[in-house]
Amino acid sequence: MEFLARAAEWFIGLFQAGGENFMGLVTGILPTLIVLITFVNSIIKLVGEEKVQRIAQKATKNIFSRYVILPLLSVFFLTNPMCYTFGKFVDEKYKPAFYDAAVSFVHPITGLFPHANASELFVYYGIAEGIKQQGLSLGPIAVRYFIVGLIVIFIRGICTEIITAKMMEKKAVSEEGV
Amino acid sequence: MYRAVKITKGSGGFGGPLIVKPEEGKDIILSVTGGGISPIAQKLADMTGGKVVDGFKTSVPDEQVLIAVVDCGGTARCGVYPKKRIYTVNLTPVGQSGPLAKYITEDIYVSGVTEKDIEYVDENEIIPTKEEVREKIDEIKKATAQKNQEKGNILTRIGKGASKVVGIFFSAGRESIDSVLKNVLPFMAFVSMLIGIILRSGIGDIIANTIAPFSGTLPGLLVISIICALPVLSPLLGPGAVIAQVVGVLVGVEIGKGNIPVQYALPALFAINPQVGADFIPVGLSLGEAEPETVEIGVPAILFSRLITGPLAVIIAFIFSIGLY
Repeated sequence: MEFLARAAEWFIGLFQAGGENFMGLVTGILPTLIVLITFVNSIIKLVGEEKVQRIAQKATKNIFSRYVILPLLSVFFLTNPMCYTFGKFVDEKYKPAFYDAAVSFVHPITGLFPHANASELFVYYGIAEGIKQQGLSLGPIAVRYFIVGLIVIFIRGICTEIITAKMMEKKAVSEEGV
Repeated sequence: MYRAVKITKGSGGFGGPLIVKPEEGKDIILSVTGGGISPIAQKLADMTGGKVVDGFKTSVPDEQVLIAVVDCGGTARCGVYPKKRIYTVNLTPVGQSGPLAKYITEDIYVSGVTEKDIEYVDENEIIPTKEEVREKIDEIKKATAQKNQEKGNILTRIGKGASKVVGIFFSAGRESIDSVLKNVLPFMAFVSMLIGIILRSGIGDIIANTIAPFSGTLPGLLVISIICALPVLSPLLGPGAVIAQVVGVLVGVEIGKGNIPVQYALPALFAINPQVGADFIPVGLSLGEAEPETVEIGVPAILFSRLITGPLAVIIAFIFSIGLY
């Protein structure tokens, strides 16, 4: 009997620990998150998609703005997954590279702007929880995650652009051969 | 010869039943599932007489697509096709969820579908056509459409302006609560259950012994990033970023306990995530209105590029974490 009781206690203990954790997440993350998302959502609505689109069209010209500014704008204003629709502004041969850059930014942005990808927050929040438990502040890592994210998507854009171009060339050659 | 089929939801599923029949020029069953054409898509094609196409290999103009078959865990794909008003069959039993939840409705979407949920329809049964559905929507639109408003004097204009701004704030608030309820809280519940079990049951120690040595060194993180970026694996690890999120939580727990040094947090964020969006390339590209030829080349180009940029990202993050904490 005693064994059963202890087993039951152990079993329910698993979920008590989980419940405490849930409470911590809800009181620790949700209040700020809700207000922040509301604020950013209002800004997006006040600015309006048309204005963003006009800026986006201008941002396709050079390589830096194409893989840094454009993904940043689209992920911030349109959020995951509608941000990829901005691919329509870039030339056909740049589309894979733009997608690669945009999709690679949907997590680095969440440290500062969680509204952009609210359903996949825990890539960052999971690791951030650990840092919080160490008693450290999250500001520095959120900012660096954002900056490194921008650098990485820039490199990813260039790299994918080159590979895409090579593969298109190869395909064109092989089709001529036929 | 095209035939109509009825697709009902599976156990735990949502939506439907859908009755669909291909027509000339709109007969493609698009399989947007990782790892080749799904058997369900094949069966739908066999039964209806439509053509099955692997959405990862080729892209098809939307107006030719009759049904999209997806295996989405509830983030993006399950909403993208309903938004385009394409019949969507989700193999995963997922209801209205994700950022596009409002487009996921019973008349266009069905989930949890298995092979036994598809059956032929008696041709005599009445099939509601797209036009009828469209008419219904138009009616609703008309009912909600407002008449042009007169300009009025300054006071009423100020009043209107203010109420417009307040309206925007209010709807922003409603959206964020919606998003928290539908996207954030469910994941918190899942994460909390996981953490509770890991912390109390002793599984945590096993994980710590296997993960920590990897995640606590730069070479270990590089190995993780290369594995996740392998073109055969990355599309399978991608969906809903669930794997990346779970690993993020696990690494977070270990950082909290001090088994992984805090300064590895930033490189770890990139090491666990080189597969981001690898499952979503064809859909993402078609959202950007890419031509089918571009999609064919884009998928392998991005997957291959990740093998280079995945580990590179870890190194950049490692350099940037110098002086952090």
